[in-house]
Amino acid sequence: MHSPSIQLEYLIPEYLEKEKLERSQVWNTRLSIRKGERLQIVAPSGSGKTSLVHMVYGLRNDFSGEVLCDGKSLKTFTTDDLAAWKKNRISVVFQDLRLFPDQSAERNIEVKRVLQPYHTVSKVTEMAKRLGVFEKLRQHAQTCSYGEQQRIAIIRALQQPFDFLLLDEPFSHLDDRNAENAWALIEEECTARGATIIMIDLQEIPFYSAQRTLHL
Amino acid sequence: MTPDYSTISPFLVSSKSKWSRSLGYIGLCLGVILLLCSVQMYMNVQQFIGGKEIKKSGYDFVSVSKLITDQNMGKDNRFTAAEIHEIQTQPFITDAAPLISNEFRAQISAGNIIPFSTDLFLEAIQDDFIDSVPPSFHWKPGESHVPVILSADYLEMYNIFAPSQDLPQLSESSIGKVQLQLDCSGMYGSGRYTAGIVGLSSRISTILVPQSFLEWANQMYGGKKTEHAARVYLKTENISNPELVKFLQEKGYFVNKERTRSARIKVILQSFVSGLGIFSVIVILLSMMLFAFYLQLMIARSKDNLKLLQTLGYSPAWLSKMMAKRWIPVYTVIIIVALGMTMVFQYAFSLAFSYKETLSAFIAWPVIAIAGILLLLCIWINSRLISRELNRL
Repeated sequence: MHSPSIQLEYLIPEYLEKEKLERSQVWNTRLSIRKGERLQIVAPSGSGKTSLVHMVYGLRNDFSGEVLCDGKSLKTFTTDDLAAWKKNRISVVFQDLRLFPDQSAERNIEVKRVLQPYHTVSKVTEMAKRLGVFEKLRQHAQTCSYGEQQRIAIIRALQQPFDFLLLDEPFSHLDDRNAENAWALIEEECTARGATIIMIDLQEIPFYSAQRTLHL
Repeated sequence: MTPDYSTISPFLVSSKSKWSRSLGYIGLCLGVILLLCSVQMYMNVQQFIGGKEIKKSGYDFVSVSKLITDQNMGKDNRFTAAEIHEIQTQPFITDAAPLISNEFRAQISAGNIIPFSTDLFLEAIQDDFIDSVPPSFHWKPGESHVPVILSADYLEMYNIFAPSQDLPQLSESSIGKVQLQLDCSGMYGSGRYTAGIVGLSSRISTILVPQSFLEWANQMYGGKKTEHAARVYLKTENISNPELVKFLQEKGYFVNKERTRSARIKVILQSFVSGLGIFSVIVILLSMMLFAFYLQLMIARSKDNLKLLQTLGYSPAWLSKMMAKRWIPVYTVIIIVALGMTMVFQYAFSLAFSYKETLSAFIAWPVIAIAGILLLLCIWINSRLISRELNRL
């Protein structure tokens, strides 16, 4: 059996300017991401970070080139295949978090957990305590601060089995202590799963020891 | 814990005013009650006016004769062999047989027991047109006993005027015991026979003797071969068939009024019930549309949540299955309530008409089958609708 992999084959977003494309180490190249790898992609604003996350996660198709998951193009996935991909193989912390604003933090996490349970409810509580949001679990997501919401989104992303974890500016609203704390939890969880981390951010994260750093 | 409807229900924003949903429930229930009742009524009408006597073996039997008008009065208005053949070959007529009559004088008397004697007419028809043919209803040349089948109406008539004429009234069972004397006379001779009533017919209003006897006697006493008939009996699948009615009108043939009247009433009643059925289908469709609007509104209001659920890994197929399943108990309850109401209605109806006919107090199985089909149809349409709306997100 092949080791799980993601391959980016000459990806070009429809809107991207030519000069950005030429300077990029990701766009319009062949890029292979192996299982268990720690990858960092650094890029300034407006260079397509979030687009890349959405392409790899399977949310958009408006690009040329291919995203191959274990050799199969994401563009050929049916809606059921895509659902299974998101449920079992890949998890994500979106830059815009994508929480249900009028639902409690707890329900936001639970709706992901029950889809393909990897942890128990007590583990969720333990994670919330560790990241300092336990008191916020019963609160509506929209009433939490952005930093708290970011931690809730991180906990939600860790509730399922996965081979790949996409992190789109996951610590943008966390202070250094909270960011390191969250990173420790993420790394533990990914190591336990043998999963790949694809960290995408504006600049290199000091406590993230990437095996490869690419500029978008 | 595996995800189920309760997992996603908090993310579905239902309409704030519940009136459209409630109206949908009530409308659908009323529509289904109307439809089931109309089907049941249609079957009741079939049983009532379909008539056991006329429609035995699934066919209508009617006699036709030529309409006597001022213009054709005095002419021979009997059917010729060619006309009978023409009737027989019409596609909407299963079979036709002439009712031949005596071409000689026939007199019947009841001997000494009942001092009664009268001239009468005798008729004969193919056996398969008679509602019930007793085994003794046959005759061969040389036999002196002639079996007779009498119209049940005649017996009724006899019993009405018998007391005023100092004659004994007769029951259906005792009439067979009366020995009659039949005198036949004509230009070519005369003969005396004993006769006995072997059966009563409620279909053919006449005095029937075996066809073999009448053909023989017409030749023997009247000196004529039987060729013409004043009446022809029709066997048809539907007496109210417009093509048949048109054919009879064009030819100037006259049909027994009672039979056509009941057929017309049956058609009117069935049309009314069918109209009710069509109306109920419209009510059901309108209710389904209300449901559709309600669902569309709910899905439109929950659009962002449903999209996010899909982003998290919930498949559209699973989501639509869960949402559709939610409605199955609702539809089941509606159909069961409607079926129950139809049962109550049929029970009351059977009680109200119990003096006339034995009508089943229970609803007919096709009504239950239609209820089942409606249930499946509602569930199917609902799930298709949800799945279509979710795929549009």
